[in-house]
Amino acid sequence: MGKYILKRVLQFIPVFLGVTLILFAMENIVPGDPIKLMAGEKKLDPQTEITLRASYHMIETDDNGNPIYDEAGNTIETPMWKRYGLYVGGLLHGDLGTSFQRTGQPVADILLQKYPYTVRLAIVAIILEAIVGIGAGMVSAIKRYSFWDILVTLITSILVAMPAFWFGMLLQLFFGIVLKDVTGGSVYLPISGAGGPNAEFADWVYYILPACTLAAVSTAYCARIMRSQLLEVLNQDYIRTARAKGLSRRDVIWHHALKNALIPVVTYIGIDFGAMMAGAILTETVFNWPGVGYETYRAITQRDWPIVLGSVTVIVVVVMVINLIVDVSYAFLDPRIRYGAGKSE
Amino acid sequence: MTEEMEKNEVTESPVTTDGDIDTSAPARTLWGDAWSRLRRNKLAIFGAVWIVLMILVALTADLWVPQTLGSPTEADSTTMTQDSRLPPSPEHPFGTDTLGRDVLCRVIYGARISLAVGVLATAISTIIGLVMGALAAYYGGIWDTIIMRLADIFLAFPYILFVIAMLAVIGPGIQNVFIAIGILGWPSIARVFRSAILSVKENDYVDAARAMGASDARIVARHIFPNSVASIVVYATMNIGGAILTESALSYLGMGVVPPDPSWGIMIQDGQTYLATQPWLMLMPGLAILTTVLAFTLLGDGLRDALDVKMKDA
Repeated sequence: MGKYILKRVLQFIPVFLGVTLILFAMENIVPGDPIKLMAGEKKLDPQTEITLRASYHMIETDDNGNPIYDEAGNTIETPMWKRYGLYVGGLLHGDLGTSFQRTGQPVADILLQKYPYTVRLAIVAIILEAIVGIGAGMVSAIKRYSFWDILVTLITSILVAMPAFWFGMLLQLFFGIVLKDVTGGSVYLPISGAGGPNAEFADWVYYILPACTLAAVSTAYCARIMRSQLLEVLNQDYIRTARAKGLSRRDVIWHHALKNALIPVVTYIGIDFGAMMAGAILTETVFNWPGVGYETYRAITQRDWPIVLGSVTVIVVVVMVINLIVDVSYAFLDPRIRYGAGKSE
Repeated sequence: MTEEMEKNEVTESPVTTDGDIDTSAPARTLWGDAWSRLRRNKLAIFGAVWIVLMILVALTADLWVPQTLGSPTEADSTTMTQDSRLPPSPEHPFGTDTLGRDVLCRVIYGARISLAVGVLATAISTIIGLVMGALAAYYGGIWDTIIMRLADIFLAFPYILFVIAMLAVIGPGIQNVFIAIGILGWPSIARVFRSAILSVKENDYVDAARAMGASDARIVARHIFPNSVASIVVYATMNIGGAILTESALSYLGMGVVPPDPSWGIMIQDGQTYLATQPWLMLMPGLAILTTVLAFTLLGDGLRDALDVKMKDA
């Protein structure tokens, strides 16, 4: 097991280097000079521009951070590979760089400020997904071909075919607008923002609609997996044996079938939680949620590459670590799985 | 959808055909067999009919839509103010948008963009995925390691952010949208095709072909590809729905199709502003996405059961 974990951690390295390299290449191909974009309409005076370029390692500097000039008196552009080396070196020291647009702010600070919103929203969504998805899947499998089963199948099929942002807007429409009209303005849910000191509602109320939106598609998949897993387990011989020795159907389901059926579902939920760590750009955009997904999207559109690089790097590492934890815990949940023994990958 | 119900039907039919060795019965091919099973799946047929209908409407739109509903892109300045955001009526079944354009007309033209992006993006990722998957599985060793690590790197990216970043580099517009979605979609297809090849490769007939002196390319093209084509067809069908969803999300974020082209995503984004007063502006294009993606999913599910493909990743 230890060997397996070590092998997986070592596999992080090429993925990590590959991801940062691709982003670095993108930054270099993308049209537009970030320093000029920073200045916007104003014209930068040449000296400030040189200082800025030097501080972002875009031109060669000496050890004190002063720009180096060639014989003609021009600055020397730092080649991409050297900047990439400097960037990765900085990362290893926990330095994610500095934002272009949010002038002077370290990327790490910005992410620290945005991440709590993303993580809290993801936790609420995951709890919702686990309860509703597993519950619906169980009902669907136990009462197979019943009205409830067909209803669950129908709803899950529709949810997975829906654009998530559109589903979010439907929720806004019904719980924020129609409900307000129908009840004469007394009962409705907030449709934008994440609360705060002067907000109209308690902070937790702001989580309801975004969390439902974020959870919707995953809940549908979760219910489908739960249904098919439970049905498969209920077909096994040991279940028939348990029934034959006189246990009630309820006992068999709760004590024998459920445990085994849950293993793949728990894995799915774990991986999904990892995916949510990437932030939900669409949900965050629809609900004006100040999370890391929306921040990254903003950074891409405004060519704020230090934030793009920093947040995607952090996201990729977080997702990989969560996936590793999921895979390892899978082995604990299911003794049949043995990693590292022979060719079992 | 209702996998188990259909799976039962599927597992029954080979048993009866195998059990009853009647030489007078007409020979049945894989596709003939699959077709007879698919025909019995009402949901899949419903999906297929809807897709065919959409394609017909999208292809013939120029012949009848502008005459009855007006132009999907151009706004007439004289009628603009009086026709702005009209509720649904017999004249404008889905209402009109801010610029006085008929929403139904834009939804119909939006189908062109969605279907084009869905099919072309899937075609691009399938071709890249097939080549990569074939190289990895057939040659194994160092090729396998390099290609699969590359796939890991691509899959490690948060998908939608990757597509957005790619579009930031190559610029928005419908062509770039399907190129970006297509290029970034190859790893999952490569994985599916790789495992399909790996399982086919073990068969004796592949060894036999090699013993007879067939070249690698010939073995892949004549023996391995036909035996894994079923899983590719199923995967591609389902992938089209996914690509349509991605396109709508990109256009919604303003990174995809450029206005005034009538993409469903752009229409939803336009409608968002008037959610409280004119909700049909976002409802209609959303329903169009929902039904189209649903149709591809139903057809994909039906094909999977009919062709008896084991889907690990889906």
